[in-house]
Amino acid sequence: MKRFFDNYDADASRFFDELVAREGGPRPHYEKLLRRFAMFSQEDVKTRREMTNIFFRSQGITFTVYGLEEGIERIFPFDLIPRVIPAAEWALIERGLAQRIAALNLFLYDIYHTQNILRDKVIPAELILGSQHFRREFVGVTPPQGIYIHVAGSDIIRDGEGRYLVLEDNLRTPSGVSYMLQNRQAMKRAFPVLFSQYKVRPVEDYPQELLRTLQEVSPPLQREPNVVVLTPGIYNSAYFEHSFLARQMGVELTEGRDLVVNDNVVYKRTTRGLERVDVIYRRVDDAYLDPLCFRPDSKLGVAGLINAYRKGNVTLANAIGTGIADDKVIYSFVPKMIKYYLGEDPVLENVPTWLPGTPSDMKYILEHLDELVVKSANESGGYGMLIGPESTAQEQEQFRELIVANPRNYIAQPTISLSRHPSLLNDSEMYGCHIDLRPYVLTGKKTTIVPGGLTRVALKRGSLVVNSSQGGGSKDTWVVDE
Amino acid sequence: MLSRVAESLFWMSRYVERAENTARFLDVNFNLLLDLNRITTVETPDCWIALILVTSDREKFDSLYGQYGAETVTDYLVFNRNNPNSIISCIGLARENARSVIESISSEMWEQINNLYHYLQTVTPQSVQNDPFSFYREIKNASHLFQGITDSTFPRNEGWDFVQIAKYLERADNAARLIDVKYHMLETSHAGHGDVVSGSVDIIQWMAVLKSCSALEAFRKVYFARIKPQSILEFLILDRTFPRSINFSVCAAKDALWRLSGGSAGRSFNSADRLIGKMEAELSYTTMDDIASKGLHSYLAGLEQGIMDVGEQTHLTYFAYHTPEIEPVEEGLRTTFSGNGGKRAEWSQAQQQQQQAYCR
Repeated sequence: MKRFFDNYDADASRFFDELVAREGGPRPHYEKLLRRFAMFSQEDVKTRREMTNIFFRSQGITFTVYGLEEGIERIFPFDLIPRVIPAAEWALIERGLAQRIAALNLFLYDIYHTQNILRDKVIPAELILGSQHFRREFVGVTPPQGIYIHVAGSDIIRDGEGRYLVLEDNLRTPSGVSYMLQNRQAMKRAFPVLFSQYKVRPVEDYPQELLRTLQEVSPPLQREPNVVVLTPGIYNSAYFEHSFLARQMGVELTEGRDLVVNDNVVYKRTTRGLERVDVIYRRVDDAYLDPLCFRPDSKLGVAGLINAYRKGNVTLANAIGTGIADDKVIYSFVPKMIKYYLGEDPVLENVPTWLPGTPSDMKYILEHLDELVVKSANESGGYGMLIGPESTAQEQEQFRELIVANPRNYIAQPTISLSRHPSLLNDSEMYGCHIDLRPYVLTGKKTTIVPGGLTRVALKRGSLVVNSSQGGGSKDTWVVDE
Repeated sequence: MLSRVAESLFWMSRYVERAENTARFLDVNFNLLLDLNRITTVETPDCWIALILVTSDREKFDSLYGQYGAETVTDYLVFNRNNPNSIISCIGLARENARSVIESISSEMWEQINNLYHYLQTVTPQSVQNDPFSFYREIKNASHLFQGITDSTFPRNEGWDFVQIAKYLERADNAARLIDVKYHMLETSHAGHGDVVSGSVDIIQWMAVLKSCSALEAFRKVYFARIKPQSILEFLILDRTFPRSINFSVCAAKDALWRLSGGSAGRSFNSADRLIGKMEAELSYTTMDDIASKGLHSYLAGLEQGIMDVGEQTHLTYFAYHTPEIEPVEEGLRTTFSGNGGKRAEWSQAQQQQQQAYCR
């Protein structure tokens, strides 16, 4: 019988492998997993794979791929081999994220109020004031308790040495948390024995924590706040997540047309008339929120919502204008923010980043295009990227022109060989796929991080792109107490 | 409950019921033809035209196919995605409505409708042709399962009442159309073949009408073997105990509407309440003689119009997004209830296109 891992080539001298240590042999926190998988035949694993596929499809856990005539629904590819993170490593990630989000929140408050960080020239003012995500209309508007980022999903990678580094911050409407929760369900069903052999910390309380966070940031009231989730609708690629979170929190899922503003108060339209709404967990971009304030052609928004928000009659989570802090150019300043606002050294480092706007950086970037990753500052989902080592001379030339024409819109980073994790390719072969990690940080009166997150996998031989729109998948993430 | 959620529940339920009814007609028609071929040389296209008449899209069908036969009619009523009333469209729309209220229905309901949807994606015209019975049984069973799951997992709150209203309005509407069309067909076929075999053809066709409503056995228990058109009409229109008769369906829709508003006989709170109460009362006191003196066709047309009016008033009372005191809107811009008939799914389609356009 051919056993799993027998032919696994960790290539540990070239990559940091999550399971196999550099000196050979498995890391201690993976031993139980190896023993268990040694008992499985390929047939067993196939059965379990089918089980999880049926689970995902029948639950309707799909995302929509755009670009064709009609959106196509796909199951988000799920890899059966879980990622195991020991408690001590998790503690570091947790501390690092809490610190980072605290600094980013102070930064947003500052930028929309006194702008000390610009006065003190820690960040060049033109980078902020010239950003398409800076909402100058909201200077001087204070969200309840001064909190801007209620839900954050920062992407963390490990470099060749296994150091955890922050790759980017998603501070507008980070998605994927429903997959984290459903992956856990699927794993418990498919591998109950393996699961019980580890002390895996639960993630299931995320929806309760999210609801508590949203209630905590409500405008002051004499009653229980009325929370809703705002979705663009069933054709949005993340619709499953919106409905899932609403269901798990027990709150209503609304579309823009369900809400109406009268006298600066937001109401939802019910079969019994209008009911007041206090907190909106919105999964609609700023630009579409209110046709009277932003895009006039928006059918997804609510006319008058922004004035209700300005008046403090409704809380929006995340606050308007958080986009300025997840601009990839601004990202490069986060370690400085941590120093500036908290007087601390960052627990988690950034990936080194060059900004074409700085002349010396520009020179370096143009000379090293073939080794760097160049990203557009405001794109997400793996679009608008140049991966130097994998690119053709023609693509490099194209990016050279783009960068020179619009230096503010790009950043460059070294190509980091993300850590690898054994994953099942085609149900039979064990292959080291590159991974990252997106934990979710909730901030209300306190900061909460459920232990785990979404581990995304580049399920293609040698690929570094983990985004679901680019063929990436995910695996369950187990934070274990030894 | 959000108005949009109530409306989606309503349409979800309605589309499932509609798909089931279409499957029922088609199934019975296949059986009927097998029987008829043995006894008579009746031109089969007539029987297929009847199915198109029930769904009242004759013009559209003609422009697409122009020929009435098992293949074209099955394709149009089962697979055609441009026909909003085809089984595949109905289940697609039911699923989309369910998806948009997924947090309000039970996960078992969602799984059932989602599985039915995925099943339909795997079915080919070839497989239906090879084994129509299994296919239609699958659709009917899936609908029954969905309704049973709804029965046992859905709280008896407002949402439940919208699901019931939709189901029974759709069912009453379908029964009325079916009787109307079959009656019309029998009249014409009588004219051509009456002299030779009309007796047995008649009976077989009337039995088919009963079967289309899954009513043959129930009918026999009441009327024994005496299959006479009069008794069949009486049973399908006026019987108060059979769950697919018009009277029963209207009664059930009335109960649900009154539960919603807290209304009762002599105490209605809105036009939907009043209209359905009126329909129910009329059905209770109607005899076959009354129907005959009015003419069956015009009586049924009246019922169909009444059902549509109830739907429209339900829409205005509970779903219409418009809030006159806050946002005066020009008449033409209001979302209106699309009602029954060939344009039944128009409203849903408009909604979908808009969302799609703005979410890319």
